[in-house]
Amino acid sequence: MEPWVVATSLIFAYLIFTLILGLIANRKLAIDMEDFLLYGRQAGFVVLYLTLVSTYFSAFAFLGSSGFFYTHGVGFWAAGTWTAMTGVTTYTLGSRIWALGKRFGYITPADMLADFYESEIVRVVVALVSVLFTILYIQVQVLGLGYILSIASGGHIPFQLGTAILLAVAVLYLIIGGLRAVYWTDVLQGVWMYLAIWVGALLLTYKLFGGPLQLWRQVAAERPDLLTLPGPQGFFTPGMWFSMGVVLTFGVVIQPQMMIRYYTAASARTIKWLGATIPIYSITLYIPAALIGLGGALTIPEMETPDRIFPVLLFRYTPPWLTGIVLAGAVSAAMSTLDSILHANMTVLTRDIYQRYIRPQASQAHYVWVGRTIALGLVVVAYLLSIYTFDFLVLLVALSGAGALQLMPAVCGVCFPTRFILTKTGVLSGVGVGLLVLYLTAIVYPHPLTLHGGVWALGANLILTLIVSRFSQPPHPETIERIHGTLEEFVYGQGEKALN
Amino acid sequence: MKLPSEKKIPQYHNHYLPRSRQGWIGLILFLFLMILAEPPIVTSWANRIEPWIFGVPFLYGYLTIIYCFLIAVLIWISWRKL
Repeated sequence: MEPWVVATSLIFAYLIFTLILGLIANRKLAIDMEDFLLYGRQAGFVVLYLTLVSTYFSAFAFLGSSGFFYTHGVGFWAAGTWTAMTGVTTYTLGSRIWALGKRFGYITPADMLADFYESEIVRVVVALVSVLFTILYIQVQVLGLGYILSIASGGHIPFQLGTAILLAVAVLYLIIGGLRAVYWTDVLQGVWMYLAIWVGALLLTYKLFGGPLQLWRQVAAERPDLLTLPGPQGFFTPGMWFSMGVVLTFGVVIQPQMMIRYYTAASARTIKWLGATIPIYSITLYIPAALIGLGGALTIPEMETPDRIFPVLLFRYTPPWLTGIVLAGAVSAAMSTLDSILHANMTVLTRDIYQRYIRPQASQAHYVWVGRTIALGLVVVAYLLSIYTFDFLVLLVALSGAGALQLMPAVCGVCFPTRFILTKTGVLSGVGVGLLVLYLTAIVYPHPLTLHGGVWALGANLILTLIVSRFSQPPHPETIERIHGTLEEFVYGQGEKALN
Repeated sequence: MKLPSEKKIPQYHNHYLPRSRQGWIGLILFLFLMILAEPPIVTSWANRIEPWIFGVPFLYGYLTIIYCFLIAVLIWISWRKL
């Protein structure tokens, strides 16, 4: 049998299995928004763990991380710092977001921010920023999916057809089974991609070099520039090392698909243990990526597109069945992020725009069907974006994480009480200037003084937020007492009993 | 009875800083380890290949050890319910 037939068949077998999971999830689905959008706020540790990590790791983390090690060397091991920090923010911020969601029934990030800042303008701005900066991240996943299927099939399945097939599968199990289907497929995907990258990396390393330790020695002998900073192309300067940590820690956690997951936990202890243990998965996933990237740099030194190093090595040096299994892992990485972003944007648009302003008094079943329709619409948009790639869209993709990061001061103003209260005017001003500075420092004059544009934007955002808040009207004392008082009792008082 | 608008703004202690001894220990330990994994240490003193650590280049091995300790601190913080 042709290798591409084997590889592609395994990928399709995986897709069929995800559809089956979606159908099973549908049988347990309650037709109300809390179940369809938030898993009934009953996600246990294992499910939430795997959905968080599989949402975090997309196709470009699966493939792109190897490419980064290939191009820039061991400097990408900086990933350990931001994954450890992601654990901290999950532990501290995630548990507070969960507590407020449980106490006040929040479903979206904008619910929480609009409530505290007493502003529908805040709601709309947060919803728009969330959707705008993540919808283009959908395009990144779609491109990755189409590319993977095209490579796996040896070009027999064209990019456009492959993209359409994978998008159809992802949106189908989402609209059939809601967040329950997303979570169950994420469990499968989280395990599959982890095993796939480790098995693929170890097999390649032993076949090509005799083992990981031998690989490191050979890299030191032939390409020592890959083993120190700033790397062959001078990317990992001190400023870039530090600022990537800031952007990739907080910029990921603040994105709606991550924040919504905090609402779905069964308890605060679940979130805290997630925070403590997620870095284990995250950090160890980069170990095989390093082996693939560095080994690839020795084996195929002139790759035009280093992101392709993993599938290229697989096709050249491993049997087709293994290539299929590992590429199914890449598909799972992309789909797990894609379905999470689709779900998050569906939730935000249904709750913050449709339910709020278009049809406030409809039934739960009505909103579920509206959500399903919105998901279909988002998929069509994503497909068109993947086919017609405009220059400005490419730029906006690069801004995705750094853009969502601009909501961080507003979120911290709610979740971390201090004597100084942020105001709606302050946070709106901060978001506005943050996005403007982001455009200037990430696009027009990229990364001044080697600091990532996201850090410049966050700095400007924070300064203006604090200054404007000092001279503008805070929320009503009753609101501050209700929300900050809840957090005070939750964190330093009765714990979860304070939420009843 | 005070009108809602006349009520004073509630004041809460800073939630960014720990309030217990163990909380401070956890915070200081974590920050100390992060400093070891950030510039200038990681881009100067730790930025070399020799000596090898358990068969891997120094920079990579050094960072791996730091990350293991960071995870251990996080698990300790969660286990102590801080």
